Amino acid sequence: MSIPVAGRESAIVLDLKGVTIHDDVSDRELVKGVTLQLKRGGVLGIVGESGSGKSLTCRAILGILPKYIEVSGGSITLLDRDISELTPKEWTQLRGTNISAVFQDPASYLNPSIRVGKQVQEVLRVKAGLSRKESRKRTIELFHDVRLNDPEYVFQQYTHELSGGMLQRVLIAAAIALEPDILIADEATTALDVTVQAEILDLLGELKVRAGLSLIVVSHDLAVVAQLCDEVLVMKDGAVVEQGSTRDILYNPQHEYSKLLISEHDLYGLERFLYVPEDELEQEQLRYA
Amino acid sequence: MVKTTLKLRSAKIAVAMIIFIALITILGPFIAPYDPLANSADALAAPSAAHWLGTDYLGRDVLSRILAGAPLSIGSTVLVAVIALVFGAIPGILSVYLKAGFEWISLRIVDTFIALPFLVFAVATTALLGNGILQAMIAVGLLVSPLFYRVARSATLSVANSQYVEAATLAGATTGWIVRKHVWSKVLPPISISLATTLGLGLIVISSLQFLAIGVQPPTPTWGGILASDLGYLQQQPYAPIYPTALILITVLAFNLLADAIRDAAGESGRTLIGSKGAKANRERRLAARGDYGNALVNSTEGVEDAGFPDSAAFAESTAGSENTAYPESTEKEPV
Amino acid sequence: MTASTVAPTTPLTGGRAPVGTKNIVWHRAQRVFLSVWKPISIFIPVFILGSFFTFGLGAISGRSPAALQLGDAATPDAVAALNHQFGLDQPFFSRYFDWLGALLSGNFGNSWVNGVPVIKLLGDRAAVSLSVAGLALLIGVVFGFIFGSIAAQFQTRWPDRLITTGTTIISVLPPFVVGIALIAVFSIWLRLLPAVGFVPITKGFWPWFSHLILPAIALSFDTVSDVARQLRTGLVSVYRENYVTGAVVRGLGPRRVFFVHVLRNGIGPALSVLGLKFPALLGGAVLIETIFGLAGYGVFAAQSAVSGDVPSVQAVLVISIVLVVVFNLLVNIILNRLIPSAARGV
Repeated sequence: MSIPVAGRESAIVLDLKGVTIHDDVSDRELVKGVTLQLKRGGVLGIVGESGSGKSLTCRAILGILPKYIEVSGGSITLLDRDISELTPKEWTQLRGTNISAVFQDPASYLNPSIRVGKQVQEVLRVKAGLSRKESRKRTIELFHDVRLNDPEYVFQQYTHELSGGMLQRVLIAAAIALEPDILIADEATTALDVTVQAEILDLLGELKVRAGLSLIVVSHDLAVVAQLCDEVLVMKDGAVVEQGSTRDILYNPQHEYSKLLISEHDLYGLERFLYVPEDELEQEQLRYA
Repeated sequence: MVKTTLKLRSAKIAVAMIIFIALITILGPFIAPYDPLANSADALAAPSAAHWLGTDYLGRDVLSRILAGAPLSIGSTVLVAVIALVFGAIPGILSVYLKAGFEWISLRIVDTFIALPFLVFAVATTALLGNGILQAMIAVGLLVSPLFYRVARSATLSVANSQYVEAATLAGATTGWIVRKHVWSKVLPPISISLATTLGLGLIVISSLQFLAIGVQPPTPTWGGILASDLGYLQQQPYAPIYPTALILITVLAFNLLADAIRDAAGESGRTLIGSKGAKANRERRLAARGDYGNALVNSTEGVEDAGFPDSAAFAESTAGSENTAYPESTEKEPV
Repeated sequence: MTASTVAPTTPLTGGRAPVGTKNIVWHRAQRVFLSVWKPISIFIPVFILGSFFTFGLGAISGRSPAALQLGDAATPDAVAALNHQFGLDQPFFSRYFDWLGALLSGNFGNSWVNGVPVIKLLGDRAAVSLSVAGLALLIGVVFGFIFGSIAAQFQTRWPDRLITTGTTIISVLPPFVVGIALIAVFSIWLRLLPAVGFVPITKGFWPWFSHLILPAIALSFDTVSDVARQLRTGLVSVYRENYVTGAVVRGLGPRRVFFVHVLRNGIGPALSVLGLKFPALLGGAVLIETIFGLAGYGVFAAQSAVSGDVPSVQAVLVISIVLVVVFNLLVNIILNRLIPSAARGV
């Protein structure tokens, strides 16, 4: 259903080379040279505190940077296309179909005046050209896929009538409706309570396998990233301070900041939500000890 | 606040215009070259050395009538604003501190005043109560007062509910101290803005009433009255309405400019505007340094828009980007 | 496409217990009830207070039919007889409730000047006032929406600056200035349209329309600028909302984002302004009616007030209050349907 794009079969779906992002109001560089690659079917994590530039990087990839903030250097290649050459029309075509995203505070990302089901249906009707009946049926299926209980009932509800976890599921359903190649989850579990958080992460992992998604998971929480990602970027003050496989960074951090993140996590974190089984973790620690 | 406001060019222009109008109002009746009520045989004469602005349909000197009409036009406008301020702001502030009953009733009365069609009520009230200038000013003043009520109330509410006042109360500050220290500085800017706006609006309403001969009867000279008599002789003197119109518009414009200037000085919008202007300059500098201005539109769906801007405050508010501006927003629902 | 057919492997979570269709219906009924009841509860006090002010105004004016009809030479007996005939010897509140009761049954009383039922005097003028106000409203809505949408679309660029500056100027222009300027240009200079008078539509569309268009334009200026500015403000604030970003990320085009997501949520302030505008156009057109020599409600109210014909004045005022209430109810109900989240308590 999604429109074929040149290079769809390429192994690298997203390629950032030395991307810098500049804020013209304060005349500062907010992101200083991010380089990353996302493989088809891969999961990449970006960790860092708020203001570290991780969300801006995602927005640059989606082409939705705020006014007066621009990519000022480097290149972003999305499915073999340099995004600086995309026209607004091409962007519209690309979003939803090839790349999609879910964010923190799911309630604010859905129109409060339209029933949530209709908003998922809208994507299917406008972008995939499904009929009213087909798109409704497909929406209900998608709601089922994202583990929404009683999809028919949720379909006709408004945002203010649903919980944060349910809304995030609805948004995920909307984001994967057109089976995009890339899904960006920007702090998608941050405002949710821990049990819901774990469920949403499970869901993302499962969708990755089932629908062949390539994921970028952005979080300030190392546990979230550790649960899902093969590779991790640690960002601080707009720069990447460490980059590598999740294991390497979790158990053998090189940079001071990564070490700090991990030690804080040991102190205050929620290890029980780490996906790594307890015994495996012990083995890992033995290996690195 | 006054100092910051006067730094703005628009405020200086506004103040100059207001001083001009004030001089006319105070000196007008004394410097009028003729008796504004004296008829002459020389009716509907074009401007000449003897009659700088010509004569009207009864041969009266137009310049003298305009000068003599200034106190009634401007003076009643000022009184309207004062009446509106007293009957609006005081209940507005009290509605926060007095308890539920007063609050509910005053809110309903304000809802009603806002909902009533303004001009027809002003006309009906004035005419029924004796058709005098005093009745006109009270009627208009009361009908405008909801503006002050709401502004004063929302500003007071924002202070009363704020944490720093709570902290001050807990620290043992007296109510009087809190009012002097916090309430006053929060309430004053929005009240000044409303006052300036009301002075502009008030002149339009007062002139409208005078135009309809409500509150003031011919031959008493007023700006609105002069316009009404000019209307009958548009064929002969199509330029005649320009003089009173110009004075009315200057006054209205001056007060609106002043209101905008205070808003800019008191709020965030001025700073943000400068921010967006700076952003454009920064961007150009950055791209020039890189030497590829032509390929400037890197990954921006909107591009960067021209950051020039008009002087309207409504506009300024909207360009403030994603940051909220510092205006006191009403915390209560609108009546409609 | 295979994704949808895979059965969930983990237990269902994140939802409430299954709810039947009965509950969905009940849920919707509640919503409809709320969206109608809330505005009504706001406007009942407005109607009561407004009618009370109107009646009180007549009472404190001290005007009486005796002064109008009998003149200074009236004997006390004659005055008392006339006052009794009009029920003026009753206590204030009983007169108020009698008057209110009569109003609700459509009886506005008789004119104190000539004894003619007020309803008949109003009926003669309805065509004039409704024509002018209706046309002005139409112009105001159409141009207000066009200008407001354009300004919001081109936010901070030149079309926006042009419209924002233009509407600001228009909004401070007094109506009599606009009226006089239109007559000077279109009637006296260009000789295109008649300056004064009214022709019923039964005499043909063009004669009717040519007499109406200038007053309607003059009257609509205020509405155009208010609607445009409110719409712009509403749309601009909605454009900053995350759900617009959400719609963009889902791949919806700018046109669809505007018409489906932005307009619906940003139209509120503009609609609210319209709710207040129509009554003002109908009753508040005193100036424009005077300038263009139209015998409408505004001029009728002003003349009656000057001559002291209290029932006639009260009739016009009450009609405008009723219109205010009805229009605002309509606007609120529409808004609550458009933006359901606004209907749950504020």
